[in-house]
Parts: sequence; structure tokens; C-alpha cells
Amino acid sequence: MRPLVPLLVVATIGCNAPDRGPRWRETAATTPRDGGVLRFASQERIRTLDPAIAYDEVSIYALHHLLDTLVDYEPAGTRLAPRLAERWELSSDGLVYHFWLRSGLAYGDGRPLIAADFEFSLERVLRMPESPFQAMLADVAGVQDVIAGKATDCAGITAIGVRELEIRLARPNAAFLYVLAMPFAAPLRADHLATAGDRIRAMPLASGPYEVGTWDEGQRLVLRRRAHYHDRSRQHLDGIVLHEGVARDTQFLMFERGELETAERLSAPDYLWITQQRAWAPYVHTQAVMNVFGSRMNVRVKPFDDRRVRQALNYALDRRSISKLLNGTAVPAHGMLAPGAFGRDDSLAPYPYDPEKARALLREAGYPAGFSVQYVTLANEEAEKLAASLQHDLAKIGVRIEISLMSGPTYETAVRKPDGPAFSFTSWLADFPDPTSSLDPRFHSRGIADENASNDSFYNNPELDQLLDAARAEPDATKRAAMYRRAERILYDDAPWIWGYHQVTTEVRQPYVRDYRPHPMWLRDYTSAWLDLVDGEPVLR
Amino acid sequence: MIGIALRRLGWSIVVVWFVVTATFVMVSAIPADPGKAMLGPHATPDAIAKVNALYCLDQSLAVRYGCWVDNLASGNLGESYRSKRAVTAILADRVWPTLQLALAAILLQLLIGVPLGVLAAVRKGRWPDRAASVFGLLGQSAPTFFVGTVLLYLVAYRWEVLPIGGYGEGGWDRLRHLVLPAMTLATVGVAYYARMVRTELAETLTEDYVRTARAKGLPERAVVLRHALRPALGPLVTLVGLDLGVLLGGAVVTEAIFAWPGLGRETLQAILDVDMPVILGVVVVSAIAIAIANLVVDLVQLGLDPRLRDR
Repeated sequence: MRPLVPLLVVATIGCNAPDRGPRWRETAATTPRDGGVLRFASQERIRTLDPAIAYDEVSIYALHHLLDTLVDYEPAGTRLAPRLAERWELSSDGLVYHFWLRSGLAYGDGRPLIAADFEFSLERVLRMPESPFQAMLADVAGVQDVIAGKATDCAGITAIGVRELEIRLARPNAAFLYVLAMPFAAPLRADHLATAGDRIRAMPLASGPYEVGTWDEGQRLVLRRRAHYHDRSRQHLDGIVLHEGVARDTQFLMFERGELETAERLSAPDYLWITQQRAWAPYVHTQAVMNVFGSRMNVRVKPFDDRRVRQALNYALDRRSISKLLNGTAVPAHGMLAPGAFGRDDSLAPYPYDPEKARALLREAGYPAGFSVQYVTLANEEAEKLAASLQHDLAKIGVRIEISLMSGPTYETAVRKPDGPAFSFTSWLADFPDPTSSLDPRFHSRGIADENASNDSFYNNPELDQLLDAARAEPDATKRAAMYRRAERILYDDAPWIWGYHQVTTEVRQPYVRDYRPHPMWLRDYTSAWLDLVDGEPVLR
Repeated sequence: MIGIALRRLGWSIVVVWFVVTATFVMVSAIPADPGKAMLGPHATPDAIAKVNALYCLDQSLAVRYGCWVDNLASGNLGESYRSKRAVTAILADRVWPTLQLALAAILLQLLIGVPLGVLAAVRKGRWPDRAASVFGLLGQSAPTFFVGTVLLYLVAYRWEVLPIGGYGEGGWDRLRHLVLPAMTLATVGVAYYARMVRTELAETLTEDYVRTARAKGLPERAVVLRHALRPALGPLVTLVGLDLGVLLGGAVVTEAIFAWPGLGRETLQAILDVDMPVILGVVVVSAIAIAIANLVVDLVQLGLDPRLRDR
């Protein structure tokens, strides 16, 4: 055994906890400086850079830096502000949006960016059956004709001259501007698409502050500052590098070694460690994500057709233990709308943990001994943990669940139909911070279908339908918010889901990354960030 | 000899066909609808039907299979449902990193495993032998995710000798990025090779011709390396060939830990997404790699051992 001794000694020395405060520091500089390359990584890989198709988080990280839209969110908020549009007007009937573009807009090759480019890109989406964004344009006049192939031009989208664009809706939609802030609504030139052909998925036409330098698919995307951009204050960095497919633990090690400027979605040990280090505190940012996790029930199927049963399950869930399970990266939910979302009723508290009340409700509903039911969830670490926690909580009120694991696409196919599993994990990420992006698809009866139902709890309440329709068309924000607060209360009481939690994401940055914080919608938005370097190098602490 | 080779080649083709067809049937049986996965929860049934028609998914299994084989014959493996990228392009990108990793791992297995086995056989029963046994046991039983993480933490993070993850820029940088994943992947193989060489060599060392060589007064080094080792290495050829075939299918865990952009990660993602064209593409490549490796091993063995040709 003697030769093993040195090995053990080496291993022990190697495992001593190192001093892991930041290695570098910021300087006293306060004016943003240009230069440097910001590197970050993600566990997932970019699927495509074609904005008409890209709908996954990582692709959007990249596209947000590559593409500008007519309107965009404020730097740290969810209010919309002009971006490529200088201003816009909405007609008094709430149906016609008129946009005026900024003057002198140009692409990287110096050619002008004009109103017709928006018309072209939106109509392209309507002609692509494989685009997930067609449904988002459903309120625009004439879209159905283009989708059905009866027309090539959409009657509701018209470029007027070089700098004006008019979009006419068939019915009012108070949230329509948010749709135009999504990357798929960025301008595209017909000649660029013709030149790129199939390679459009790797060479989007940059209208934003950065353009694609190189993309080694599955490994690394390199963005570089582009020429002829109208707002120099959004492109301090020489470049941005996104390393794809890097495991979370590995990302954090790379970050500490200085191979990355930011790291996000930390694994539990790294998260716990860094949030306890005082030296790191100024550089750790948390951001509530516009999503919700919970369990949906098919309210047409016994025993979930009884509201008392659904409420009982809500009282039985111990949301504090979920929060602990997720190391505090979760905010208990009382409904779908995340903190900060428009129309959220902040006076509603999540269902309290009250197994006694839950048992009483079950008795009232005629299930004094509880019941047994299958519970479908996704085969991933977090969903499995949550299912185990739910199983433990529900067992206390006599509800026995048998957990069944499925992969993503199998789960989507199984759950979204009336005769599928009645009880399952569910989650939702809002496309924009407006209830039309979450309440309408998940609880309006329009979302009920025999296949691919977005309302997969098959909840049908005419009162809620009316309220959601009225709120969608209401131009007055105060009145609208009041309507959504009522809708939240209805859903809270009817409980078609066991409301779980909203996610909180943590991102840590190197001290020399300045003027940065995660954006509530884009999460990773480096357009305002600059690197505090001296002679091109960060300063050691 | 040529007759045997052709016969083996014929069987290899049958095996590849069988594997690919079985995969096609199994993946088709997964109750997941690619149209829904692509379009997300907002999609109308019409839109889903259109997408399914676009990818022939509304046809019967037989028609789809025929369509796929037809395309395959002309080198077209279709395009990924999720990324809309040609499967041949995806595979072309992934095969080279995987090949580098596989070759480096095999090289390490040979360079470390064989000398270790020789040392253990020559010093049989003494401490080098026991140390090699302990190492072999540890190496074979330690899971890859553990070995990889420990190597990553110690060598790359604490000692800062090598980069933490990624594929590198090419040349020297690539080599530096390759070392840790290759070592991780090779750990099991090193242990296995060492044990096998030890057993084979220990047995060969008791043969009459070895005793004769020693009686002639040859130095021990020459006896071991020139006379005993060569016949003991026969089974190693088989092992190397098979290992190479398997490693070319990708190493999911190692690639994930070190962010190595190989076939393994691609496969895992494709399975999770039920991205059928990519899954089938990977299976085609892996099946062909394993079949070729087997074929080459068979032929090399035939070349090395004339007795096999009469069978």
C-alpha cells in the first residue's frame, strides 16, 4: 500500500478549501470604456439563429444582441421603450399601430434599414408553417389568408414610404406591442434571405448592436460589434462569446478561474457557497423569472372535477419546503403571474400549508380516505425532486401518487389532450410580461382542444373567458390591471393547478464587468455592460 | 482470404441494416409528436398537421421508412426537427472531435495500461503487482463522472495546469484541452488493459519456449519484451478495435463534464428531444464505426494467426 500514501497526501492538499473571493477588482472609473470581450456560457446549445424559428432560451440570449425590434424593454424593467421606432401612435379604436422609424438606420453593410424590411420579416413568419410565432400574430388583419396560402402579402401590415409602418389589427389587443419586441419581429431584407438560403439559420441579418463573427455550432458563438449602429452606448464591448453546452459545475469553475465573465444558473453547492461570501456579495444578482411551476389537474376528470379536492391539494403543499429544496431560488406562487408582471394581485398570499383544512375539504368532497392517482412529470432532476416532495406532502392527507417520468416531447404529447394523464407537473414561461401571454393560453376556453391543448387543465369558465377577452381589448391600463386582479382571484379560488413557485435566477459577474444586471425579460442582456480593464487586462485584487 | 473478408463485409452490412431498422421502428414507436415539440404550446392543430406533412410524419411507418432509406441511399439523412440543420452537417461537425477523443483515449490506454500490465506480470505477487491490482480495481469501478470531476477540480482548477473545459483553438491549445477528457475516458481502459496484459503475460511466461529462451542465457528484459509479450498482445488487438468502435459512438458523460463537442452530447440531446433524424444519423454512424472496427479486427487477426483462416 506504500505507493498510495503520496497519492493520498497530494489529493488531501488538493482538496483544501482555497480562498475563493474575486481575483480581480473594479477600478475607480465611472465612465464606460469601450473594449474587451465578454465571455459567458450556457448548459444548453443554440438551436438556431433564425429568429422565425428560435424559441429556446439560449438562442434568444444570442438573438437579443444581434437583432433590434421596433420597440424594446427599458434597460432594467419591463416597460416598453422605442428602439428602431422613434415613436408610434395607436388609433382611438385600438386597431391601428403607426410606427415612425428613426432616421439614418442602417445594417452592418451600410445599407439602409427601412420599413419594408419589417413587413418582409413578419410575412415570412406567416408563410413558414414551422414557425412557432404565427399564433402570436393572429390578431393582425389578413394573417389567416397568408397562413392558408391564399395571399402572399398580409393586408394588415403596410410599409408607407421608407420610414413608416402601419399594422392593422382585426380585433384590439392591448398587449400587441410586446409581440413586436420579440426577436422574430426584427427586420430582414429579402436579398439577404435570398443570399443566405438555408444558411439563414447561422447568419441572421444583424440589426442590433452586434453581429455574428463566427459560430462553431455546439461549441462557441462569437459576436462582434457591428458598424453603422445607431446607438454607440449599447455596444461598449468589442465582442461577446457564448460557450455552448458547458455543464453548470464546469461553468462555475471556469468563472472562478477567469475564463468567463459571468456565470448563471449555479448548481446548489456553488449557489450556497457564493451567496455566503461577503466578498462576492456586490457581484451576485438575483432576478425573478417570468415563469411558474406547479401541477395541473384535468378539472373534467374525477376527483379533480370537485373544486374542494383541488383546493385541498393546494392546502396540502408545503411551499416552504420546496423553497428549501431549491435553496431559496424560488418564490411561492399564488397564481400564474410572477412578481413584477402586469396585473398581478400582490394582495393574494399563496395557499397556506394546512393539512388539517385539506383533510376537512377532502372529507366534504366525499374522499375521507383520500385517493390514489398517477402523477406524470418530466425526467429531470428538478421536476423529480418536486414530484417527490409533492408525494410526501400529499401522503399526509391520504392522497397517494404514483410518479411516472417522461421525456419532454412525450410528456407534451401525452398531457395536452383530454384523455391524457389527469394530474401532472406543469410550468409556463411568459413570452412577455403581460397576462395575455399566460392566462389566455392556459385558462381561456379557446385553449381547449382535443390535441395540443394549451389549456390542459380543460378549465372552462365563461366568467373568466369574458374577463380575459375584455381585458385583452381594454386600452386603459388601470382598468385592465383591475380586471386581471379579478381573474387571478377566480383562478386562485377555482385552483385548476396546485400553484407552486416562481423561479429566481442567480447570476454572478466578475467585479470588472460594470453596469450590468440581469434583465427581467431577456435575462442575459450585455448591451449596457462595459469591461473595467487597464491595458486590456483586469486589475488584480 | 478474400472470400472470408467479403463474407465478413456482407455480414457487417446486414448488421448495420438491422440496427438502423430496429432503431427506426423503436423511435417511431415513441408516443411523441415532433410537430408539437417544434411549434410549442400555441400551435393550432392545423399548423401541427402542416409541419407533420412537411416532414412526411403523416404517412404510414412503411412509407416513412421507405422515404428515409431512399434518402439515405443518396447520402441525405434529413434535417433535425429542432435546429432545422442538415443531419449530415451535424454529424460532420461532431465526428472529428469524437474521433480525436477516442484515439487519444486508446493511445493512453495502451501507453499506460500495457507497461503497467507487464510490470505486474514480471513482479507477480510483489508490490508493483499488488499496486497495479488496486489501481485496476479502482480504475474499473470508479464511475466516469467521478474521475472526470476529480481530474477537473484538481488538475485544471486547483493546480491550473490545464484548461477547464471546451475544445480549444486547434494545435497545441487543442491538445491541452484534450488531455483531461482523454484521461477520464481512458481510466477504465487502462485498468482493463493492465489486468489483461498481466494475465496473458503471466501465463505466457510459464511456457516452455520462454524457459528455453531463459536457458539460452538471454537477459530477462529480452525474454519478456521480445519473446513473451508479443503473443500475449493478441487479445489486445481485438480489444482495441472494439473499444475504438464503441468510443466512436461518443462518450456522453465525459463530453458533458469537459464541454467536449462530440457525438455523445449530440446523441443525448437528440434523444431528449426525440429528434428522430439526428438519432437515426448517429445510430448509422455508430453502427458503421463498430462494424468497420469489428471487420478490421477480424482481418488483422486473420493476418496474424493463419490457423483462423481454415475455420
